[in-house]
Amino acid sequence: MNDLPNRARSISSLRDFLGLLEDAGQAITWNERVMPEPDVRNIAVAASRDANGAPAILFDNIAGYPGKRLAVGVHGSWDNIALLLGRPKGTTIRELFFEIAGRWGDAEAQISFVPEAQAPVHECRLEQDINLYDILPVYRINEYDGGFYIGKASVASRDPLDPDDFGKQNVGIYRLQIQGPDSFTLMTIPSHDMGRQIMAAERAGVPLKIAVMLGNHPGLAVFAATPIGYEESEYAYASAMMGAPIRLTKSGNGIDILADSEIIIEAELQLGERELEGPFGEFPGSYSGVRKAPIFKVTAVSHRRDPIFENIYIGRGWTEHDTLIGLHTSAPIYAQLRQSFPEVTAVNALYQHGLTGIISVKNRMAGFAKTVALRALSTPHGVMYLKNLIMVDADVDPFDLNQVMWALSTRTRADDIIVLPNMPAVPIDPSAVVPGKGHRLIIDATSYLPPDPVGEAHLVTPPTGAEIDELSKRIREMQLGAMS
Amino acid sequence: MTATVCPRCKSGDPITDYEGKQDGATVWTILRCPTCNFSWRDSEPASAIHPVSRSTDFAVDAGNLRRYPKILQQ
Repeated sequence: MNDLPNRARSISSLRDFLGLLEDAGQAITWNERVMPEPDVRNIAVAASRDANGAPAILFDNIAGYPGKRLAVGVHGSWDNIALLLGRPKGTTIRELFFEIAGRWGDAEAQISFVPEAQAPVHECRLEQDINLYDILPVYRINEYDGGFYIGKASVASRDPLDPDDFGKQNVGIYRLQIQGPDSFTLMTIPSHDMGRQIMAAERAGVPLKIAVMLGNHPGLAVFAATPIGYEESEYAYASAMMGAPIRLTKSGNGIDILADSEIIIEAELQLGERELEGPFGEFPGSYSGVRKAPIFKVTAVSHRRDPIFENIYIGRGWTEHDTLIGLHTSAPIYAQLRQSFPEVTAVNALYQHGLTGIISVKNRMAGFAKTVALRALSTPHGVMYLKNLIMVDADVDPFDLNQVMWALSTRTRADDIIVLPNMPAVPIDPSAVVPGKGHRLIIDATSYLPPDPVGEAHLVTPPTGAEIDELSKRIREMQLGAMS
Repeated sequence: MTATVCPRCKSGDPITDYEGKQDGATVWTILRCPTCNFSWRDSEPASAIHPVSRSTDFAVDAGNLRRYPKILQQ
């Protein structure tokens, strides 16, 4: 496992990454026979209790699915994310955050195109008598989900009104509920790229074709969930952030897809039709309601030989969803805030997709942190998601909740809060009085500056910095060594 | 086990979507309700698929499907 950065950059597929994880002791094969329900869910939940070190789990003996393989927890721990970024196991969340933040905006995309006949994803192709249940070893993710969900699909589509524009291709993660052998519903909202494209296609009466990519380059799963601009290509962005080439090919219905994915489902929107969808156990840890959602008809499926179906456990945290998207929710907010306020030193929006965020800032004047908090609410992600914000000083690590609690205990007055009523809110926040509308909370846990009469307390200054970080890791390694 | 009613909305006539087979025998069957779209596997725990043991919090009112909102309205 020498030269982790080069090994990470050489990944081109899920299989490559599973190999890397296995070499690092971060992937296991569950070859004991399991039932789809409740065994797969139980094992995935048990694994996700260890947010730092959980391995990916590959199932290859699922009752009723002979010969089929299922992977869960591929992005299910910080150690797995560290290996994806070319960093060793044990890298702290704070270090991973700055690894991502440091890559932001200063790398170039490397995209290459593979002829369809040479693309591994097209090794096997089905165009008739398609039954998704015969291809995917699905399981009910949460007990009261309305059906069998594909929870980790990267869905690629072209703008139905501008299909030749590469940049306007959208790749996003959307939940898909299987609705019979060759149909599925897709849940989205008008502000998401896919929601915009569905509405545009239906308004104009033009077809909307999509390609659902399963078992992908692990970098895409991370970056397809990152909120970037509509005209930015997620492929280019993922390649730039990984510092590695991405191989694309064409799906049978003309969409750019990853050449090395495990499975591609090609489908077409049924214009104007809606079918009952849900509930689904979502990232706030509660079920969404039942709604009528757009439905897609499957037109073809391509897959590699012996494909691996990659899926996720999502529900009440901590789950793979949190490690998959946490840092890439935090890093864009950090970058966008620093354009206006270079005093911002870190952003921790790991909790429930940023429903709670902690921002550290060099406080320039009394009340300054509150101003920064208000700017955070107007970032693209903040508009809908940042519900509770805790502002701390730059001497507090927002990724260390013990330090955050210290700041709350010693630097917060009861009137150092702001409540902004009746703001936009993500519709699946279970605390909202009305779905889609709710209150925001800002807690200023920064220290007091003039003209505040109290001023800063005389602080104890324990040793900090890289030397202490290294000592801390060394103690942990010695402890693990003593156990083995 | 052959289901005659949907565990969620109690409507009849579920559709068989797939049978999971192993060594020539059917291990389980996936069914779908044509009224409320609930899909289930007949091998799941009773708390999820038995019409009596299943929590009524997640029931769907087959007589009033209009109450469920439609997303992405123009």
